[in-house]
Amino acid sequence: MKGLALCVAAVVAVLLAIVLGPTHIPLADLATSDVVRSLRLPRAILAFLVGGALALSGAGLQALVRNPLADPSLLGISGGAGLGAVVAIALHVTNPWAVPLAAFAGALGAMALVYRLGIVGRGGVGLDSATLLLAGVAVGAFAAAITTAIVSLSDATQLRNAQLWLWGGLSGASWETVGLLCAYAPLPVVALLASARSLDVLALGEEPARHLGVAVSPLKRRVYVAASLLTAAAVAVSGVIGFVGLVVPHAMRLLWGHRHRPLFPAAFVGGGALLALSDTVARVAVAPRELPVGIVTALVGVPVFVLLLRRWTTS
Amino acid sequence: MRRWAHRTHLAGLLVFAASACGTEGKRPAPAGAVTVTDDLGRVVTLATPAHRIVSLSPAATELVFALGAGARLVGRTTWCDYPPAALAVPSVGDGLSPNIEAVVARRPDLVLVYRSPLDQAATAQLAGLGIPAVVLEQDRLEQVGRAARVVGVLAGRERAGDSLAAALAALVARPLPPARVRVAFVVWDTPPVVIGGGSYLDQLATLAGATNVFHDVGAASASVGLETIATRDPDVIAVPRDTARGEVIPPAFIRRPEWQAIRAIRARRLVYLRGSIFSWPGPRAEQAADQLRQLLAEAGR
Repeated sequence: MKGLALCVAAVVAVLLAIVLGPTHIPLADLATSDVVRSLRLPRAILAFLVGGALALSGAGLQALVRNPLADPSLLGISGGAGLGAVVAIALHVTNPWAVPLAAFAGALGAMALVYRLGIVGRGGVGLDSATLLLAGVAVGAFAAAITTAIVSLSDATQLRNAQLWLWGGLSGASWETVGLLCAYAPLPVVALLASARSLDVLALGEEPARHLGVAVSPLKRRVYVAASLLTAAAVAVSGVIGFVGLVVPHAMRLLWGHRHRPLFPAAFVGGGALLALSDTVARVAVAPRELPVGIVTALVGVPVFVLLLRRWTTS
Repeated sequence: MRRWAHRTHLAGLLVFAASACGTEGKRPAPAGAVTVTDDLGRVVTLATPAHRIVSLSPAATELVFALGAGARLVGRTTWCDYPPAALAVPSVGDGLSPNIEAVVARRPDLVLVYRSPLDQAATAQLAGLGIPAVVLEQDRLEQVGRAARVVGVLAGRERAGDSLAAALAALVARPLPPARVRVAFVVWDTPPVVIGGGSYLDQLATLAGATNVFHDVGAASASVGLETIATRDPDVIAVPRDTARGEVIPPAFIRRPEWQAIRAIRARRLVYLRGSIFSWPGPRAEQAADQLRQLLAEAGR
């Protein structure tokens, strides 16, 4: 029942994203409109996929580090992606895909570095949760510092706009972007979904999980890599969109409980619905201007979250 | 525009409290003294016209040279590249949030400050050091005349200031040519940022016989959706480029699939606005409008 309602909400959010826009297109013309086919439709789908990827990744990371404040952007991935993008812009690479690819490469670089720093203990096999979070924050701050240094020392006036990229947005949506994400995302998504049962056990603590037969180290590595890969792709196509990865998993946890088997799909669908809805608001609210979608995710998401939180804490 | 407009655009988010200092005409000025009111409404009096001027904006630098006071300029920003003679003047670094030590080291008797919240601290520091500073707003064409008069008076080139102001007033008052081309100025692609009605480029478009399709957007620049650009369907897309000389590199976004929804992009009807002539309003406005008209006519063909 809850699941059905969430799915209906997601479908409605995506439909609204297709029907509504800064320019009015009559319902009868939707099917034939060029703007709908080449801009609105891929953007609505991309918003859903990115939102879902961020929320799922957040849910996975929160389970991994067993810290409710874990968020994809806390693990240095956004900082690395921003650095990659700014380097590509500064080098004037003329390939139209250079910036997303460089952002992706930067995100992977940051991820590898944080991963290496997060490995502690005997034989260098254990991925320590607290160290991972600290390493993520440190690497992210370092990457952001280099980014700012490049931007402020550069003579190219355009580079000053590069920071706009970091604010995030789905203006780069096209069928090609959607296709790339559809080809790429299934592997990390499946890896996360497959880890759901083991993560339930891990929630009891690492030692108990080990006694219950969970291979803790491989599990943590798998979850970390999958969540990071998912976030890296999301950041590469849409910049840094905050909030979705942090709060959607919590909101879904309030509705579905702490078991990851139902939580992961719910987080994906909920995150997708929230971002699709937020992007519609971002495009329509101040038309012809556009708001950065990250602002709207917070404006739309926080009241919903507060409502859920109150209902949950009073019952 | 460009860097300046962008910064001002961002800065516009902050409420700018004009701190008018209440020093208005308390003491009679000595003979030979020059007095002006700057764009913050502050009265600035110099005992004699300035001989060592530091300019903290490219627009002010161009103005100083245009008034024939270039020899009095002892400091400029890294961004001041016009006229070429300005490059011979020592640079004091950035004009926004300037390095006060570098400015003071030039021993100026007048500092021309750009009106921006980022320069408020510098203005206060200069006042504390007893170095006269005037704050000038030079974002739109109609503001240049006033700035020319102010700089003219302070640099002992009053006549030149008046005549430049008169020439610019005549340009603004001139009957406008019929608007034949619809243009969108795209300054950034992710997210798409266009130039709005509150900008100098919008004024240039009007003077050049074109309409900025985002004239209704009041701000100097604004983030808009590709869908909006596509449906407003400009004839030509104008893109500011940094490179003043040599081959212009087409921006990568014109080859992005989602941008192909825009007719002018598909047809590659693009013009590149190169060099500082399009960057800020000043004495070259008429020349800039002519250049833009020509560029648009070539692209429209």
